[in-house]
Amino acid sequence: MKKHILGVESTAHTFSVSVVSSDGEILSNTKSIYKPPEGSGIHPFEASQSHIASAPSVLSQALTLSGLQLKDVSAVAFAKGPGLGPCLRVGAVVARTLASSLGIPLVPVNHAVGHIELGCLLTGSKDPVVLLVSGGHTMIIAYAGKRWRILGESLDLTLGQLLDQFGRHHGLSSPCGRAIEEAAAGSNSYLRLPYVVKGNDVSFSGLLTASKQMLDSGKPFTDVSYSIQETAFAMVTEVTERALAFTGKSEVMIVGGVAANRRLSSMMSTMAERHSAKLTASPLEYSGDCGAQIAWTGWLAYNSGITVPVADSEVTQSWRLDGVDILWRS
Amino acid sequence: MTASTSSGEADVPGSGLLYRGAEADIVRGEWQGLDAVYKVRKPLAYRLPVLDDAIRRQRTVREAEMLHLAKKAGVPAPFLYDVDVRSSTLVMEYIEGTRLRDLTGAMGEDEAAQAFQEFGEATARLHRAGIVHGDLTTANVVVRDRGLVFIDFGLAFRTTRLEDQAVDLRLIKETLVGAHPEVSRLALEELFRGYSKASGAVKLRAVQRQLRSIERRGRYARVT
Repeated sequence: MKKHILGVESTAHTFSVSVVSSDGEILSNTKSIYKPPEGSGIHPFEASQSHIASAPSVLSQALTLSGLQLKDVSAVAFAKGPGLGPCLRVGAVVARTLASSLGIPLVPVNHAVGHIELGCLLTGSKDPVVLLVSGGHTMIIAYAGKRWRILGESLDLTLGQLLDQFGRHHGLSSPCGRAIEEAAAGSNSYLRLPYVVKGNDVSFSGLLTASKQMLDSGKPFTDVSYSIQETAFAMVTEVTERALAFTGKSEVMIVGGVAANRRLSSMMSTMAERHSAKLTASPLEYSGDCGAQIAWTGWLAYNSGITVPVADSEVTQSWRLDGVDILWRS
Repeated sequence: MTASTSSGEADVPGSGLLYRGAEADIVRGEWQGLDAVYKVRKPLAYRLPVLDDAIRRQRTVREAEMLHLAKKAGVPAPFLYDVDVRSSTLVMEYIEGTRLRDLTGAMGEDEAAQAFQEFGEATARLHRAGIVHGDLTTANVVVRDRGLVFIDFGLAFRTTRLEDQAVDLRLIKETLVGAHPEVSRLALEELFRGYSKASGAVKLRAVQRQLRSIERRGRYARVT
């Protein structure tokens, strides 16, 4: 019989609840996104307060949209990490409350694994080289030997942080990706910026400093936006290409908030073509943080027998995805 | 000079594509009657031409220099026959053998131990000579009868900084754990043993300490 899993996401700026069925149908995916004041970044405590305020309505809306009642839910999944402590705890409290009051299992999910598994469900990718790009991650990942393995990553800032910190320097509020993409579309004047690839890894800190200095010296925001995108995206595309050539896989998938950027996906698609690989990307609604990534991965885990007693369900702020045993893939 | 056409494309006599890497095509051909490989850094269409041209040119020239330095340091690397900067092409000796990546899974323990110890020794020799390889993966080492040959010095550069040397080791560790999890423990142990053999235990400890410090900087990393 079909089962239904409720998933709660609250690792950073997004509080989201989703209900999915065991055959991979997403019945609802409701979100509330905390928006920090202009020019500043996410404040963990402020974000958690926003999550607390929106939790009841997000939860009830997710249930209503799914057409189900709480008694129809077989298990509750939550993002156990990685993420911001105060934010993680809000989602964990909601999930624990549901699990203990309904007397159903609680399932811990790694947020990054959630991005990947939901991406595979929605794009039909079977065994891709994954580019996970968001505010929390910049990693090139592939499956081998029961784990998602990290083949390359940023040695310092994530791609999301690079864009956000650059955008905030200009007075925007996080997330700044879309505003930068729009500004970049209005320029084709490339300013030389540091391009730092070390083996399969990238480094963005020098690029951020140089870009901020260019803004300070009076270069137009449009030109610097264009140049930072061209440089940073080419760097991640190059390291993804290295991983693709190295592993010999035939699929590439982009997931995470920055997957929404059209220039990045166009570069990645050009690259994939050269290797006759198929490029897929999470649909916009699901590329950023959302409950569906937790609910779907929660189902995969639950179906493999992974649950956690409420007493042992503390959140884990630092939890790298290559530390998670993947029991549901062969 | 290698003949190049007006478009800047390298003209490879008797060519056959051996391997399409991330940044270059490796084409087998002939050079002055010798069995050769042409490493052609073709324009990458996803990169802005102005950026792409600069990167390809810089890496081609640097790779030529680094191949020479590696040999001087006693690390087996292909002989360089010719360089054509305009088409970003290097012509090198063809190495008969198999990439370590393709053998690692099939090796017995002794064989793997020997290969990775040799790997570590060669890496230490490079570092002592003031260069890092920059792309130390199992795909960039060819195993032949007489031992290992290091290829692809496209990301190599001159440095004596401990940080750069540790980044070099971090990549091979990342590759072993990521792509060869079943042998990674043994391989790493042997690699460090080899490194210590060539550079001493004190140097090994220093570079390992730096490696841990880099790993701690990773996102969500917990390093013990």
